[in-house]
Amino acid sequence: MPAADQRTPGARWTPFFFLLPFLFFLLLFWVIPLVGGVQMSLHANGLGQAEYVGFAHYKALANDERYVTALRNSFVYTLASVVVIVPLALWLAHLLRATFRRLRPVLTFALLLPALTPPSVLAVLFLMVFHGRNGLLNQLFVMPLGFEPVNWLKDPDFILSGLVLQTVWRWTGFMTFFILAGMEGIPRVYYEAARLATGSRWRQFWHVTLPQLRPVLLFVAVYLVVDGFSLFSGAYVLLGGSGGTADAGLLTVTYVFLKTRFFDYGSASAISISLLPLMVLALLGCLFLRRRTA
Amino acid sequence: MSAQGKTQRGALSLLLLGPFLLAVLVPFLWMVLGMFKTNNEFFQPLAKAFFPANYEWQNVGELLEGKWVPFWDVFGNSLVVSLGQALGAVTLSATAGYAFARFTFSGKRLLFVLAVALILVPRQLFAVPLFSWVNELGLSDSLLGVMLPGVVTGLGVVYFTQVFRQVPEEYLQAARICGATELRVFLTVLPLVWPALLSYGMIHFILAWHEHLVPMLVLTTETKQTLPLALAKLYDVSQRTPQGVQMAASTFAVIPTAVLFALCHRKFKSSLSDMLVH
Repeated sequence: MPAADQRTPGARWTPFFFLLPFLFFLLLFWVIPLVGGVQMSLHANGLGQAEYVGFAHYKALANDERYVTALRNSFVYTLASVVVIVPLALWLAHLLRATFRRLRPVLTFALLLPALTPPSVLAVLFLMVFHGRNGLLNQLFVMPLGFEPVNWLKDPDFILSGLVLQTVWRWTGFMTFFILAGMEGIPRVYYEAARLATGSRWRQFWHVTLPQLRPVLLFVAVYLVVDGFSLFSGAYVLLGGSGGTADAGLLTVTYVFLKTRFFDYGSASAISISLLPLMVLALLGCLFLRRRTA
Repeated sequence: MSAQGKTQRGALSLLLLGPFLLAVLVPFLWMVLGMFKTNNEFFQPLAKAFFPANYEWQNVGELLEGKWVPFWDVFGNSLVVSLGQALGAVTLSATAGYAFARFTFSGKRLLFVLAVALILVPRQLFAVPLFSWVNELGLSDSLLGVMLPGVVTGLGVVYFTQVFRQVPEEYLQAARICGATELRVFLTVLPLVWPALLSYGMIHFILAWHEHLVPMLVLTTETKQTLPLALAKLYDVSQRTPQGVQMAASTFAVIPTAVLFALCHRKFKSSLSDMLVH
């Protein structure tokens, strides 16, 4: 990061004056709950004064099949959403740039409508598309072709893909918007230079667009990963707050929620805390990429 | 490229975009039309009944009267919480971002890394300890208990750090030469970055509007709840809410964020374009 000015202007406490409100709320609503969470995870389940149990909850988790399933599902879900959404959004942004200038804002807005919709509404719309008998998909495609209607959301092989599809439907337009904004910020000179060097559009994309978009793509990927691990509302409405048939759609946050429903606050916190090392890894990855971009 | 080639390319792209647009818009169209349907009509095969036989406003009426959920209370609560969160988050993030971008001080790197870490840890994971802490603060079942925790955002801090880095140093120097206090200098810079303030406020409003888990734990009284909670209640099969009412509520839930985005869309995009690539 470029230092704006070597001499700190104003008094020495000036920057802290500006940081103070943020730091105050950070301490109050982030650090304290975090410490509380660690503490909770070391105590027996239940509200109020509970007995200290050490790492018992963590040990129990290691042998908890549902925990492993939830972790695996969250992981697959998050990875799949990034892998599908990023290339798709790049392609859509490219198409939007190639299409008529006047239509562009309307089309972009239409594509990102799902991102503006509360996830529970999305889940209901999604349910209407994938519903066993009355769903759009069965009615428009499966039944007219003479097949039996498929009960998508009861099928353990489909539930997780269904959740991924829901995320793709939700976020692709939004990410397209970011990428489009990024593309429009690339100075034209770069393209002109590339045009002189090579005529191929693909090469222009590879050597100019993609490297220039690296910060945007990094942002998009981070956003999707974080969102992937915090998905709650969509899965909650879609699967009625459970993990679905055979836990095929059990995600980490859903599992935390299921635990709290039975007041198992200790193990619920242990699940949350156990994810911290993963987050730290992600953080290091981001810092590493940022440095390479800079 | 020739004008004709350009038109062809435009038309082809539009054609390729077509299926995606349909996939996005058809369910929404169905939602809006569903508002006017009776339950019977709603579950008929779509080919027969995609459009309602007649446009009845009964479902909308029932929703607004509060027959199923206290709709106006809930809608108002959601507006208050989301606006409050957005304002708070913009204020905290802009001031912190300004400090990161414009000053050197000890511990800056560490604090900045902490802000990035904040982005990466989803708040939903800490919902339980947060909930018990909010209880201890005496904020349980109050809108403040949902609003205040939501104002801390790593994304905002990182965003505004980037924004304030782009303000030319001359502006700040000029203000200082005129004898402005540091707070005054900051306030003079704000109008320069107002598209960024607006954009971030909008994004945060949208995220707050969608928040489900924390309000669900904190807010217990029905009239104090927010829209996503009321929606979940309407959708719950055991409540037997008519489908039309569900669709009406869903439509109303989309309107505020859609309007907000439509209004701010252009500013948001140009502020992003200026920033993302540099």
